[in-house]
Amino acid sequence: MHNRALPYLLILPSLFLAAVVIFWPVYDLVQISTHDVSRFGQLRDFSGLANFTALAGDPDFMAALWRTGLWTLSVVAGALILSIPVAMILNSDFYGRSLARVIILLPWAVSLTMTAVVWRWALNGESGMLNSALTGLGIIDQNIQWLASAGTAFPMQVLIGILVTVPFTVTIFLGGLSSIPDDLYEAAALEGASAWQQFRTITLPLLKPFINIAIVLNMIYVFNSFPIIWVMTQGGPANSTDILVTYLYKLAFRVGKLGEASAVSLVMFAILLVFTMIYVRLAMREREA
Amino acid sequence: MKKSKLIRSVVAWLLLSPLIVVTLFPFAVMFLTAVKPRPEVLSPTWWPSEFRWSNFADMWVATGFGRALLNSLYVSVLATVGAIIVAIPAAYAMSRFRFAGHGAMRQFLLVSQMISSIVLVLGLFRLIAAWGLIESTTAVGVVYMAFNVAFNVWMLQSYFDTIPRDLEEAAWTEGASRWLTLRKVFLPLCLPAIAVTAIFTFINAWNEFIIALTILRSQENYTLPIQVFALVAGRYTIEWHHVMAAALLATLPVAVLFAWLQRYLVRGLALGAVK
Repeated sequence: MHNRALPYLLILPSLFLAAVVIFWPVYDLVQISTHDVSRFGQLRDFSGLANFTALAGDPDFMAALWRTGLWTLSVVAGALILSIPVAMILNSDFYGRSLARVIILLPWAVSLTMTAVVWRWALNGESGMLNSALTGLGIIDQNIQWLASAGTAFPMQVLIGILVTVPFTVTIFLGGLSSIPDDLYEAAALEGASAWQQFRTITLPLLKPFINIAIVLNMIYVFNSFPIIWVMTQGGPANSTDILVTYLYKLAFRVGKLGEASAVSLVMFAILLVFTMIYVRLAMREREA
Repeated sequence: MKKSKLIRSVVAWLLLSPLIVVTLFPFAVMFLTAVKPRPEVLSPTWWPSEFRWSNFADMWVATGFGRALLNSLYVSVLATVGAIIVAIPAAYAMSRFRFAGHGAMRQFLLVSQMISSIVLVLGLFRLIAAWGLIESTTAVGVVYMAFNVAFNVWMLQSYFDTIPRDLEEAAWTEGASRWLTLRKVFLPLCLPAIAVTAIFTFINAWNEFIIALTILRSQENYTLPIQVFALVAGRYTIEWHHVMAAALLATLPVAVLFAWLQRYLVRGLALGAVK
């Protein structure tokens, strides 16, 4: 009966498309990473895990790995801490709320590339507007070369990362807050609960599933985020702001070490799969609850 | 009561103001640099002595903005239309049929949403090179399409699930075929969700960086993000007023679209991400 086959026919094209851009590249990456490979991509002898052990002995890779952890954790934590109060304010009733929402969610619509280009200009040592604004406010008395060393460049990149992560996080929390019924707060207020008690005993527990989802999704997005660091410093000076994605890009398309680049890809793929498992777990648990 | 809302509003805006300042800062930088006369660009003043609107026209010619704009439109429309056409049947099947592999497909969609193009970029580059499609904007559009299919199916399915089956069943009992019902009853109801999903796919494709950077190597094929990046990367002198004018023009249309649609996103994400 053709009706039995119908659903499969309907999902086939999307399954096929998604599979081509995922399975084939993954298969190819496994091939390259376990072979000796020329600069132009010809596979030579099987080399087992040589590319992976080469990575483990590469100080730049290890530094990028740690920096990725630092980058991901600080951006995700920063965005989380900032987003909860912002979402709570945006969820309350005040004049101009929709305008405030639009402004705060706006960075989401802007390509990360453009944001990073603008910040690269704003942080320019001689003519950048951040230096002139800070000088004008009397906060600094000589120009700071923001992007010339990792000590100032990387924290700035983290701050920009937080800024562009806030809109998505706030959006998730707004969805969560709107599902909390108002009478809970009214009842609590009648019982004489303070605002802080209401936050701790009502808002936070009911928001918890949304917080979990936001943490996991943000970990995935931030871990993968390429344009901010690439556009502002290209991982420099001297690889000192590299995270895994920028290091991978350099290995693959600058240095031409395809074997090691695919090994980095697979390491990242494995880390992402772990994040994704956690996400699937959380999402499915929410569904059942 | 009225007075307390006024006070609340002042407090809310005051609390939000630091974040609002930081959010608007890049837009201010973009705009003010874009309209500065060239000699003033490198002097660290905020306000230009006059608004030089002709910068936009100069930039359009000097940077080849028009061609990049067309390339961006092409890849984004291709990705959006393709992804929607492929995703509608799949989302319909996921929403209206129970079949073996339903759960597995759901999980596959979830997982493939999480796998970003950057992790696979080397493999994708080799795949596209093997087909001789380096420099092809069509190939870039198709890759965007493929990466957005999961999101499209996910969003559409969560909306399709909210449409009561009774409507379709009523049409069937009237003797309408499944196909006719789909076309005349079901899809018209879903038009808003389809539009919103399509627009978000469009914005994703419009803003994408890494695939375009890898596949499109010569200037006549650049999309807008790559074009703007190329004005900055590895140049000895950077015409910052052109860069900012280009960034502003490339950003404005999607920003407006987004500001208009963001409340649908709040609803859609709440449905899609958590349910």
